[in-house]
Amino acid sequence: MQHPHAELSAYIDGALAPAAQAAVEGHVAACAVCRAHVAELRATVALVHALPDPVPSRRLVPRLATVPAWLAPLRTVMTLASGTAVFLFIASSLLSNITFLATGGAPASAQEANRDTTTAFRADGPAAAQPASTSASGPTPAPSPNAPALARNPTAPPVAQAGDAAASTDDAAKAASERSALGRSDAPGVAAPQERGQFASSEPQRSPLLNPLLWLSLAFLCGAIAIALQRRLRGSV
Amino acid sequence: MSGAAESETQLLIERARGGDTRAFEDLARREERALYRHALRIVGTTADAEDVVQDALFSAWRSIASFQGLSFRAWLFRIATNRALDHLRSRKRRPELPLEPPEDDDVTWSEPAAAGPDLNQLAGDREALALVETALGALPAEQRTALLLRDVEGFPYEEIAVITSVEIGTVKSRIHRGRLAVRNALIARGWRGPDG
Repeated sequence: MQHPHAELSAYIDGALAPAAQAAVEGHVAACAVCRAHVAELRATVALVHALPDPVPSRRLVPRLATVPAWLAPLRTVMTLASGTAVFLFIASSLLSNITFLATGGAPASAQEANRDTTTAFRADGPAAAQPASTSASGPTPAPSPNAPALARNPTAPPVAQAGDAAASTDDAAKAASERSALGRSDAPGVAAPQERGQFASSEPQRSPLLNPLLWLSLAFLCGAIAIALQRRLRGSV
Repeated sequence: MSGAAESETQLLIERARGGDTRAFEDLARREERALYRHALRIVGTTADAEDVVQDALFSAWRSIASFQGLSFRAWLFRIATNRALDHLRSRKRRPELPLEPPEDDDVTWSEPAAAGPDLNQLAGDREALALVETALGALPAEQRTALLLRDVEGFPYEEIAVITSVEIGTVKSRIHRGRLAVRNALIARGWRGPDG
């Protein structure tokens, strides 16, 4: 039998017809040259098989989950809504100040607040500065997160101008000390529990649309939805 | 593959055919790396290989209804192999030229130039593996493809014939010629066969 060189690869893979497989096997058993070639081919196969496994740098399976057609417009609407809510938040903050200034409530309430603070401040000492400033923040129950936003806003009213604006500052201690300084030049020692009561009772009469906190929460909510939608859209094909 | 795994795969295939994107993604993710290494050794560059695999998987999803006959793995390899070879042809801008020279039965076995290390001891040798990689890269693309499908991916000759759309005799010839070329490249660098 001639050397079955061309058959050797198929032979080592067991891909020959049974008769041919047996014939090659018989030849290889008797032929040193073919045996050497078989060994070489097996070694070559082992080397090719042992090649390192490259890893792709990114995910190659496309994200196929179909994206509803309304998702992209909704993201745009949510982005715009978030921006509008931020604008309304600033506007409502300003408007509430202007309303108080126009009705003359602001100076009065500022004084009330100052007296209030002074009272608390003097009664409890410096340790009470923080709660006192909180109690003075009646008209605008804005939490600390929106304070930096107001502070960055160039149109935000000065801290000492109105009582509710003072509440929006992020530096409560500074505001408290400022108010206590004002309070000393005012009428010190006047306790104002009933004034505070009136102050609080006038609060619910204001339109809830003027509450900056409402717009701030809305801005955060819409912003979060817009970001979530954007992520969802970006991940799909 | 165990019976349970096979039936789970069948279930996923059925769900994918029914339009379940998650089932298809599960199936595709299993072959992602294998398809990538295969495409990379055909097209040669990582960025092209990634594009080829991504395109192939997307194309597979779009034509999932036409899947039949082959194993799902072979079907994915068929799509990816075709994409990779098309990519190679378009890059060479000579689509009229065959990627492989005419079949030739006269396969030559070169003899060792000098005594060298034993081939069997080289599997862990990075230098030898780099040499094999280079030798594979120098092969005609269709020989390389057949060799990779057999020796890296372990497909039987019959499936390779379907994947590459050629006769089984051609598959046999391509694999053998490819192996011989790699073997000769090693011999040319001084390696000698395991039997001396």
